[in-house]
Amino acid sequence: MTDATANPTPPSAHSGSLLVQDKLTKKRNAAEARFKLYGLTAVSLGILALVLLLASILSNGLSSFQQTFVSLDVELVEAKLDKNGNRNIDDIKKVSTFGYAPLIKAAVEKAIADGGIEIEGLTAKDAAGIVSKDAPAQLRNYVIANPEKIGTTINFNLLANGRIDGYQKGRVTKESAELDSNVSPEQLMLADALKENGTLVKRFNWGFITRPDASENRPEAAGLGVAILGSLYMMMVVLVLALPIGVAASIYLEEFAPKNRWTDLIEVNISNLAAVPSIVFGILGLAIFINFAGLPQSAPIVGGLVLTLMTLPTIIIATRASLKSVPPSIRDAALGVGASKMQSVLHHVLPLAAPGILTGTIIGLAQALGETAPLLLIGMVAFVREYPSAPPEGFFDPASALPVQVYNWTQRADPAFVERASGAIIVLLIFLVFMNAVAIMLRRRFERRW
Amino acid sequence: MPVLWIILTMIALGVVGFLVGRKRAMSSVDGDPRHLHSLPNYYGVNVAMMTMVPSLLLLLLWMLVQPMVIERQISGMISDSAVEQGANLSLVMTDVRRVANGLDEVVAQGVMTRPEAREINAEATNVRELLGSVGVALGSDVRPEVLQAAQRYRGLKGKLSVMMAVAVIGLGLVGFAYATYRTTKDFRARNIVEAGMKALLILASTIAILTTLGIVFSMLFETRNFFSQYSWTEFFFGFVWSPNFRGGSELGILPLLWGTLYISFIALLFAVPIGLFAAIYMSEYAGPKMRAIAKPLIEILAGIPTIVYGLFALITVGPMLRDYFAQPLGLGESSASVATAGIVMGIMLIPFVSSLSDDIINAVPQTMRDGSLGLGATKSETIRQVVIPAALPGIVGAILLAASRAIGETMIVVLGAGAAARMSLNPFEAMTTVTVKIVSQLTGDTDFASPETLVAFALGLTLFVITLGLNVFALFIVRKYREQYE
Amino acid sequence: MNDMRMVEREVDTKEVKISARDCQVYYGDNHAIKDVNVDIEDKTVTAFIGPSGCGKSTFLRCLNRMNDTIDICRVEGQIKLDGEDIYDPAVDPVQLRAKVGMVFQKPNPFPKSIYDNIAYGPRIHGLAKNKADLDVIVEKSLRRGAIWDEVKDRLDKPGTGLSGGQQQRLCIARAVATEPEVLLMDEPCSALDPIATAQVEELIDELRGRYSVVIVTHSMQQAARVSQKTAFFHLGNLVEFGETGQIFTNPQDPRTESYITGRIG
Repeated sequence: MTDATANPTPPSAHSGSLLVQDKLTKKRNAAEARFKLYGLTAVSLGILALVLLLASILSNGLSSFQQTFVSLDVELVEAKLDKNGNRNIDDIKKVSTFGYAPLIKAAVEKAIADGGIEIEGLTAKDAAGIVSKDAPAQLRNYVIANPEKIGTTINFNLLANGRIDGYQKGRVTKESAELDSNVSPEQLMLADALKENGTLVKRFNWGFITRPDASENRPEAAGLGVAILGSLYMMMVVLVLALPIGVAASIYLEEFAPKNRWTDLIEVNISNLAAVPSIVFGILGLAIFINFAGLPQSAPIVGGLVLTLMTLPTIIIATRASLKSVPPSIRDAALGVGASKMQSVLHHVLPLAAPGILTGTIIGLAQALGETAPLLLIGMVAFVREYPSAPPEGFFDPASALPVQVYNWTQRADPAFVERASGAIIVLLIFLVFMNAVAIMLRRRFERRW
Repeated sequence: MPVLWIILTMIALGVVGFLVGRKRAMSSVDGDPRHLHSLPNYYGVNVAMMTMVPSLLLLLLWMLVQPMVIERQISGMISDSAVEQGANLSLVMTDVRRVANGLDEVVAQGVMTRPEAREINAEATNVRELLGSVGVALGSDVRPEVLQAAQRYRGLKGKLSVMMAVAVIGLGLVGFAYATYRTTKDFRARNIVEAGMKALLILASTIAILTTLGIVFSMLFETRNFFSQYSWTEFFFGFVWSPNFRGGSELGILPLLWGTLYISFIALLFAVPIGLFAAIYMSEYAGPKMRAIAKPLIEILAGIPTIVYGLFALITVGPMLRDYFAQPLGLGESSASVATAGIVMGIMLIPFVSSLSDDIINAVPQTMRDGSLGLGATKSETIRQVVIPAALPGIVGAILLAASRAIGETMIVVLGAGAAARMSLNPFEAMTTVTVKIVSQLTGDTDFASPETLVAFALGLTLFVITLGLNVFALFIVRKYREQYE
Repeated sequence: MNDMRMVEREVDTKEVKISARDCQVYYGDNHAIKDVNVDIEDKTVTAFIGPSGCGKSTFLRCLNRMNDTIDICRVEGQIKLDGEDIYDPAVDPVQLRAKVGMVFQKPNPFPKSIYDNIAYGPRIHGLAKNKADLDVIVEKSLRRGAIWDEVKDRLDKPGTGLSGGQQQRLCIARAVATEPEVLLMDEPCSALDPIATAQVEELIDELRGRYSVVIVTHSMQQAARVSQKTAFFHLGNLVEFGETGQIFTNPQDPRTESYITGRIG
């Protein structure tokens, strides 16, 4: 405290009036405004990215929920479908889809003649080509289910060819059809004419949600049925395994575990597993569950097991947080009336923590539902047309999964599959939004503040 | 399914055990539960537990060990010459298993009776045709040796299955008897049951460790196989990646690592400034209304599956970059490129970086900000010169975590980055990453004997080690940082 | 010593530095400060005393507009510094805070070196033309903060490594470095041990020669030791304001008396 006054006092920072901003302050305030603008820009960029992402998916995918159908009166000619005429189902089954194609061809020709449509250069084969190659199978299924209808004429809503559907949705134009070997401008003109007289209609596409996948050149018939079932089966496996194991592990770590090296090791392990790249879990699944344990490829059980291991850390972390939020006084109260530690946890702590645990589990399931990479490695990319049977055998049947189906469709050449892939993502996002909404609702409803 | 039946039997035994245990406890005190040490149900659970748990554990163990025992027995039967014809032992063993399963199927579908199936020989019957008729397709005709092995395989499997059923149910009965015998009024059933439950809890908590061990060992094992066929120096230091399933592949990891790091770098270049500034704005400037809207919106980005980002890269960002940047600038024709994958991955990482940074910035004590503001610093000066330096270690940790995510990300690069392994600086060129190659080497037809397939495990292990290292380091930094302000 | 100061007090009539008229502060719906009128003199230590939650810290934070950082806080009435309303829309709080420095309850050195802690204010306010200038300012401020001798050999060491009392004097030196006219201190000694408290109190007494010092304190003894003027706050009201000696020996208001004698608070 020797000398406080030895040096002459330099001018104070802002010796002038407070009401006048000096030059430096103006500069600093400008810098402040710039900085704030950077922040606002960053937030806007983040939101813009979200909007762009959703807009891109929606604009590409919404149209997949609409599909073009051709409404045709098809005569189920007995001479072709049931030569013996005795309606023996086994005989009827012997007629393959090739036997049904001519019926459709005839029906199209009839529709053209009835409508008085004349298009120059349109061959009969081309005309029949506006109907999907999947349509004969559709007819055959109907006939096998209703053999008594053979010999009558029935109105069918048959899928239109993918290119015709694309034309209705603006993906295919007459110019692009010139260059396309799969569709001719004449076919498009026919489509216009049929649309005019109401034979060609666009309707909601239930098939997209219920049908199985279809081959490369039949995008119009491809659906998500098998993928949705596969994802559902996997979620069942994950729920049945991950929830009890996760809760049990959390109870041990939070309530019983002594503080020692072993429990430290477990904790470090859990936090690291949460950050291991998902594809590594795929390698694990391939090596352990398929190659070592001999479980079948492409099966929901394997997918479910892999996703269980991936989801466990999420569930454990959430469960521990909600166990931790139950105040110790509850435990003390239970112990105080002579309950054992196990009883105090099972009777009091766990029920109080249940909403938090459920919320965490749903969020973990939502993560698992969207996971793709590990499923690619365990063979879920395979082309699966058969619906898996009911559980539990169905867990071992080959199936696809929603996100993998998206990947599958992106790998195909026909641009119609891009629409399908985006549509599949919309379905996936609807599931995710629903699950998250349930989680948020649970949290709002049961959140307890101690 | 005999295993299912064994399990159902054990469950039934367990239920009976519960009832017997409970009844015996009650009768030991003449129906007055107050004289029992524990509640009556605990006695029941104790018997059920002793009946089911050891026997089911034995079942599990048996099912793990049995295939190995059979394998060893059968592989001894196959001569070296057969192995040479069939390229390698594991392929021959696959054939043996298929034939054996096919014969089971033949019996199951009633094409043959059990003794008939046992007497089949390769000379007299066309086994391939026979199996084909029940839906088991074989690639080639069945050699006698393989058929013989398959028959032996069936025999052994049948015998061992019977033994398994006897052993498991026997153990269950022993447990039943022992626990019932011990059920008296002074028996401390609750303590035993609770100890058993605690053991189950401990078992559940070790799954995390088992998973890690499973990851490490499954990859180590196959990686060792890989390095026995391919030199490790060429793998780690090779500049060329050109797998060739006819042999003579060059499998250098460097081009893949280059692609991985380049894409991750671009992703961080986008995500870190945007995420960090967004976090700063949210925590220091935004009003409560703005925060209530903008924060959840940005967090939605974190909940979107990566396949969605991949598709976004494929159908929107890729073509856009190609049409507006790469082609006009003459830098490339490909819509899949490092920039595409990097930008989309950057978007994915924004919420990750921003929520981590948000936590870290909020951990800086308010008094620090007051000190600076009280000296007449503006908000931005306070943030830049006081808050950020104080939060720096935590932010570095967050960036490392983000980097580890970027390196391990798969679907965005599969759909957005391309498949060509090359080392170039041009961000508009397609390059490929470690994860893309893991996917491409392990999907489709794989042959677990060729280095072209096994390399995927070496790639996976490398990826695991890199990300694990980053994570451990980052978590260490973040934890250190948190302690500093607690 | 105390007696001598008493005499001195009566002789001095100093110019008013800060004057508050009908000052009201609201936290959301809560009326935290009611109708406060006070004149704070230059080159004087003014103490704000009162029970916890009486609004003394809130009012202190109004004097350099630190309350601006709290969203829900609203100030009405007039607070003038040298005759200029500091809540005038034209006033930049940044400029104001350079004139009205503040020291906080808990020592809060930045996680930087001791030198950078002191140099922070002068740097942002552009007080030094060059490094030599800055060195002079840092040394002078540390001397005024009565901590120069303790830290002169380790200016590049982090400020967080000092003891609590040293940290608080460092924070005072840091506030002094921007050449303020008023120093606000919010319970500067509540986190310190008695020896460190004595050092800080001695420092406050020295600072009086140069600045107008306003100190909020919990301890009546401290107010009596360091201040010339004392204001007693109760439930958001300024109950009594006057010479420290008079407040402690002959309070006019019964509430002041009960507080000083320990019956409330």
